[in-house]
Amino acid sequence: MPETHASPYLLEMRGILKQFPGVLALQDVQFNLHYGEVHALMGENGAGKSTLMKILSGVYQKDSGEVIYKGQSIHFTSPRQAQLAGITTIYQELNQIPQMSIAENIFLGSEIQRGVLLNRAEMKRQASQLLQKLHLEIDPRTPLSDLGVAQQQMVEVAKALHHRADLIIMDEPTSALSSREIEDLFAIIRELKSQNVSIIYISHHLEETFEISDRLTVLRDGRYVGTYPTQELNVDGLIRLMVGRDLSDKFPKEIFPTGKEVLRVENLTQGNRLKNISFSVYAGEVLGIAGLVGSGRTELVRALFGADPIDRGSIYIDGQPVTIRNPRDAIRQGMGLLTEDRKQQGLILKMNTRENTTLTVLKQLTPGWLTNRRAEAALTQKFIDSIAIKSSLEQLTINLSGGTQQKVVLSKWLATQPRVLIFDEPTRGIDVGAKVEIYKLINELASQGVAIIMISSELPEVLGMSDRIMVMREGRIAGILPRQEATQEKIMEYATEKVKQTITA
Amino acid sequence: MTDTTEKRKISASGQAWRLSGRLLSETGPLIILILMAVGLLLASPPFRNPTSLMLLGLEAAAIGIVAAGQTYVILTGGIDLSVEAMVSFSGVVAAILIAGTNVAGGQIANGIPAIFAVLIALSLGLLIGIIQGVIIVALNINPFIVTLGFRSILLGVSLVATRGAGINIQKDEFMTFMTSFIDTGFIRIPVPLLIALIIYAVSWVVLRHTRFGRYVYAMGGNEVAARLSGVNVNWNKIMIYGISGLLAAISGILVMGRLQSGAYQNGTNMTLMSVAAVVIGGTALVGGTGGIWGTLVGVFIIRLVEQGLVYLSVPSNAKEIVIGAIIVLAVAIDVIRRGEVKWLRLGKSRST
Repeated sequence: MPETHASPYLLEMRGILKQFPGVLALQDVQFNLHYGEVHALMGENGAGKSTLMKILSGVYQKDSGEVIYKGQSIHFTSPRQAQLAGITTIYQELNQIPQMSIAENIFLGSEIQRGVLLNRAEMKRQASQLLQKLHLEIDPRTPLSDLGVAQQQMVEVAKALHHRADLIIMDEPTSALSSREIEDLFAIIRELKSQNVSIIYISHHLEETFEISDRLTVLRDGRYVGTYPTQELNVDGLIRLMVGRDLSDKFPKEIFPTGKEVLRVENLTQGNRLKNISFSVYAGEVLGIAGLVGSGRTELVRALFGADPIDRGSIYIDGQPVTIRNPRDAIRQGMGLLTEDRKQQGLILKMNTRENTTLTVLKQLTPGWLTNRRAEAALTQKFIDSIAIKSSLEQLTINLSGGTQQKVVLSKWLATQPRVLIFDEPTRGIDVGAKVEIYKLINELASQGVAIIMISSELPEVLGMSDRIMVMREGRIAGILPRQEATQEKIMEYATEKVKQTITA
Repeated sequence: MTDTTEKRKISASGQAWRLSGRLLSETGPLIILILMAVGLLLASPPFRNPTSLMLLGLEAAAIGIVAAGQTYVILTGGIDLSVEAMVSFSGVVAAILIAGTNVAGGQIANGIPAIFAVLIALSLGLLIGIIQGVIIVALNINPFIVTLGFRSILLGVSLVATRGAGINIQKDEFMTFMTSFIDTGFIRIPVPLLIALIIYAVSWVVLRHTRFGRYVYAMGGNEVAARLSGVNVNWNKIMIYGISGLLAAISGILVMGRLQSGAYQNGTNMTLMSVAAVVIGGTALVGGTGGIWGTLVGVFIIRLVEQGLVYLSVPSNAKEIVIGAIIVLAVAIDVIRRGEVKWLRLGKSRST
């Protein structure tokens, strides 16, 4: 099929397939983009949006499929190539140097020189022009650190224009913006559109995408669901498209009689990340925490565990107020935290299974000056047997599979005989079989009366394993749903802005 | 990502790669040491003399004690650049107290018995190390900067206190013993070497069989995970710099005793040498892996190179070149061992 410049599309992606070890991230995904169009890319966490965009911008390479850009089949092997071709990505975390001025940031990597010296005057003049194009009245010599996040983002847009971008990818551009700033950003997006620049817009904020986009493409589980003109959809329809999969029996949930309140949190506040959080967890209960990325879930459990300081709030264990200033205090109060990122925060990969398991209880295993290695081995062996860890005592944890590593982290916390155990994304990066094993262990702990808090970005997991589901949005509790009443649609409604009006009204 | 046969294959080859790397890093330095010793024994008849072996041990003791402290620090992923200044400083402090003067060649007051002077100098070493640790922890400053600053401060104080000259001491019974030899009939073992070996033995027990030692490795391996597991990272870090300060101060006393003089140059080059010994001995500069015995091997390798150059009649001025090359080589080995050099891995799986 010969490609001509008469194609109505700036970009066409067809049959894109991308595989990571053990995971089919994208399968037969298609996507197209008109000239001067704002096209929203929608899907749950892990649906494959970012992977698709990283293929487009040259960060990842596709395994098969075709990308046609400006009528030509292309294959970028680095972000630099994509940028030279006119494709720029504005990431959630900005790649800027705060100490440098606006002009210096715009021209970073493409400085204008007079001989061997920088031509500051010319760079300033061109930067001013770019800022004017975006209707921004800022001196280009202003250090970036003096600007707000929104303005910093505008600088990034100016940089994209400087690179003559025809296609700008915006990944969660509004997550750090106030509603006023969002309006500014939208004005600029409309301005760019009028200059025939195309924009791919990724956002969890459904209302926003309805306001700004011309069309929507929905991905789910790495597959293409469909592309729709925005005015033909409503929020409910979109949510159904995003989550519409069947819950299978992958979750061996058992319900145990709930006991006494073990942990109570009152008015926990931390900057603008956590705002007046109050909730309780009961013995034998699994409290699921759902919410979008950045809604404050991980921040909440880290604050509870003393890993980050809090501004305000009280924590009660068994009804008694406790002070938790650091993880040591939390452990003393009977808490344990299985972090989201096992490799970076959970395990010491250079150490073996025994050393990792006993790290939390080394004090008890050191009767005098010297650690009792026999007791250490016995304790670790007990967990290897009881929760079926596929590892020897002395095997380095760096060599274990994801599921086995998670079990080692779990045994480290079981060794402390916790009252409250917090799982942050307990099955991330773990294959299906091992996931079920982890769920069964969660059941078993609940049956023993441990109070369990489980954060998960996978809605089926939250729905399948929780007794109650606490949904967070923007650092607040958006709602707590009992198991019987919870559905994917309801959680998504709470997690996005849909029910904001109902709550504030 | 979930694991499949694909990933297992990768991790299996990675495992073999790491295992061979580990084997090499654990026995490699020892093999090099033995080869060097045999080579020197064959090449240089004077080297076979028990006296030269004794001298080798004596020299190794001073640098070895400093390197032992450096090992603790580097195992946690830090570095102590103040050690050479601490060696000079503790010698100067003890010498001034013993001689009762801070002027070269004169006595203006009654000195105090050496044993008390030494105890004071060692306490100062421990305290200054702890102060550095507190600054590193409380202000969250890179240890590189803090210890570099203290290096200057301690050298400066030593220089000012001695007016740039050495403070000579008369040895009393205690200092005589500290610098004497224990005659075994075949070979005379210097007391400093004995002290060094005791420090190494104790350090091995501490690092391998105590809670503190386990925490040292845990902090170097993954400080965040250690903290989240309830390890008191701050307190342990402070102690680490205290230990390094104390051991450098001990070395300073032994050097001062041998030279019978406390001078600001006493510790010259010791920082570089100690770091080089630790790295040559197989401890990773990023922390978390390695051990104290490797450092001892590293110390002897460095001493053998230095002595060897003498016996092989290399002009002493050229010594610095060789030592410098060894240090760069040691760091290169460290980086290569950890598989961080892309072009050397030749398409090996990316380590995660």
